[in-house]
Amino acid sequence: MTTYLIRRLFVIVVMAFIVAFVSFVLLSIAPGGPLQEVYALQSTTMRKDPDLIERTMKRYDLDIFLIPRFMRWLMGHPRGPIEIGGQKFFSDLQIGCLKEGRAQLVYPDGRVVEVDCEKPVFLKDLEGRPVSNGILMLDFGRSTQILREQPVMRLFESRIVNTLLLMGISTFLSIMIAVPIGIISAVKQYSRFDYTVTTLAFIGSGMPTLFMGIMGILIFAILFKEAGLPYLPAGTAESPRDTFIPVFGMVKAGSFFDRLWHLVLPVMILTIFNLAQWSRFIRSSMLEVLRQDYVRTARAKGLIERVVIVKHAMRNALIPFVTLLAGVLPALFGGAIITESVFNYPGMGRLFVASLTAGDYNVAIGFILISTFLVLIGYLLSDVLYTVVDPRIRLS
Amino acid sequence: MATATASVDTAVGKPVVLAKPEGQWTIVLRRFRRHRLAIVSLTVIVAIFIASLITPLIAPFPRDAVNPTLRFSLPMTPSAEPGKIHVLGTDHVGRDTFTRLLYAARITLSVAVIVATLSTLVGMAVGALAGYYRGVIDAALMRILEFMSAIPTFPILLILASVLNQDPKLLPFPDFLVNFVSAIMLIDPQKESRSVLVVIFVITLFGWTGAARLMRGMVLSVRERDFIESARSLGANNWWIILRHVVPNAFPPLIVAYTLALADGLTAEVALSFLGLGITDPTPTWGNMLNFSTQFMLTHPWAPLIPGIPVVLCSLAFNFIGDGLRDALDPRLKM
Repeated sequence: MTTYLIRRLFVIVVMAFIVAFVSFVLLSIAPGGPLQEVYALQSTTMRKDPDLIERTMKRYDLDIFLIPRFMRWLMGHPRGPIEIGGQKFFSDLQIGCLKEGRAQLVYPDGRVVEVDCEKPVFLKDLEGRPVSNGILMLDFGRSTQILREQPVMRLFESRIVNTLLLMGISTFLSIMIAVPIGIISAVKQYSRFDYTVTTLAFIGSGMPTLFMGIMGILIFAILFKEAGLPYLPAGTAESPRDTFIPVFGMVKAGSFFDRLWHLVLPVMILTIFNLAQWSRFIRSSMLEVLRQDYVRTARAKGLIERVVIVKHAMRNALIPFVTLLAGVLPALFGGAIITESVFNYPGMGRLFVASLTAGDYNVAIGFILISTFLVLIGYLLSDVLYTVVDPRIRLS
Repeated sequence: MATATASVDTAVGKPVVLAKPEGQWTIVLRRFRRHRLAIVSLTVIVAIFIASLITPLIAPFPRDAVNPTLRFSLPMTPSAEPGKIHVLGTDHVGRDTFTRLLYAARITLSVAVIVATLSTLVGMAVGALAGYYRGVIDAALMRILEFMSAIPTFPILLILASVLNQDPKLLPFPDFLVNFVSAIMLIDPQKESRSVLVVIFVITLFGWTGAARLMRGMVLSVRERDFIESARSLGANNWWIILRHVVPNAFPPLIVAYTLALADGLTAEVALSFLGLGITDPTPTWGNMLNFSTQFMLTHPWAPLIPGIPVVLCSLAFNFIGDGLRDALDPRLKM
């Protein structure tokens, strides 16, 4: 078990590293980013400022080659020449290029070297430059567009509570409703209840969340408001000012009730979506179990039906559900990108989309790295949980 | 399957044809026809497909014709041109919604069909090779599948789409592809084809794994059967066995998977374009029409329904057809 866990954790670290590196490379070669704005500024204003481009490049490490840049982002090194016993090594190692072109380098010892770079960057130039502390210290660099110069982590901190609330509540509700519904509709297969549930679940899982969200806003936010009924807000997480809702009265902006009130609609949409999928899943796994011999044996022993279903069948039927819940952990963090976007809800998913449209790549890459890590941990957790709920399975 | 027809001479001298035993596909068709929702869905899909095929004939206005004086007009508003009406009103810059909806149907559905076809074909090929040859190919495929299932696909898909859309040099598409999509989707090859191709590429890149896994499993179970053994003893080579024996046997679940892949491709395109990272304005798709109409939803609440309803209809219809096909092809698979 221990060796298994160590091996899995090793694989997790390697995979998260690969995903981070690939996304980093992709986003580095993409246009946009901090320089785009500078170029735009240069083309509109009359005053040309070549210094500005170089300053921006230096500021965001854009003058450094890809690999050292990735290393500086990942672990905050190299920060300058390597010092051993007061002596500096590799200080003349070229690790970047500020301006393309050709240049002759004249070294103090008289060597002359031709390089394909007009303004090369050396390891010694990195001394004193601001650098991230590395992702191990939970420093994902600085935001370049959304919250300029602020650490990405601060952005995450401001959004993650919203996402945790939204996803936590809806996941909890979905499990609490999906399990009994799935079990009952399997036990009473082909009953009217079963037909209703399966049809609704089928429609619910086939309907895009995008459209469910829009319908929710249309009905509960707009039509209810026009009809003078107690309505739900159409989006965001807090009202900008105190609002009056019929029946409930005045709602103070930013109060507990205000936040709760804003959660209802997105939670509802996400719950319906999860419910549709999970109840189908539980139903079919329960049907599978009910056909097993040990259920027949339990019945033949004369056990009452409730015991047969709850103790013998249900416990076994929920085993595969554990695997499905592995996907919940990253979703708790990442949020539902589409739902958050429809409701303009300030959560992680919305932040991610905003970071891509704004070209704020440090935010995007931090998001990807954390979610990859959580997905992998989620799978590991589900595998371990599997051995707990099903002693027949051993990890090796 | 042997078709036993026998003719018997009667006293009159007319040959009487005895009942033909039902072929496999006749049975499937009969079972499928019994699934009422699937038939309704098929009708809806066929109707929308035909409408999108004859779009240039029935579209009342040019696709991008702007009328700035007539923004957000209601359905059935008379147009500035005499004798023409905006059947579904106009959008936020005064373009005819009905016309754009038709062109969007063509683009969105073509993307869905191309994505589903490509990812099923790629998945089939990879899955068949891995399942049949085992060894290194299989091991490599399984690693890739594991890797793909262990990464947060949707965020990475969004990153890829956004990066590829911003930098045309990153992934140049060959001219014949550019001309192909612009011809079937009636879009400008230079300006608009790229984002469509990017969307197709990105969704396919993450979409082929399901078909590959399915195909691999089918091949693994089929290849051990006796008729493969006998085919091989008769001198059949690997390609013949894969194409003539393995693929037809794996066909029923793949056809179901294909229909569901259509629904997935459709929703993926809609989601990407809705988030503004897929196909962008002025190229109309149901996704970016939804994007704009939801932005003005508080003042024009009904507008999102116009692109929204076709999306839901198609998504549900593909699901229902898949369900009907599953029941018809293999009653054991019935959920």
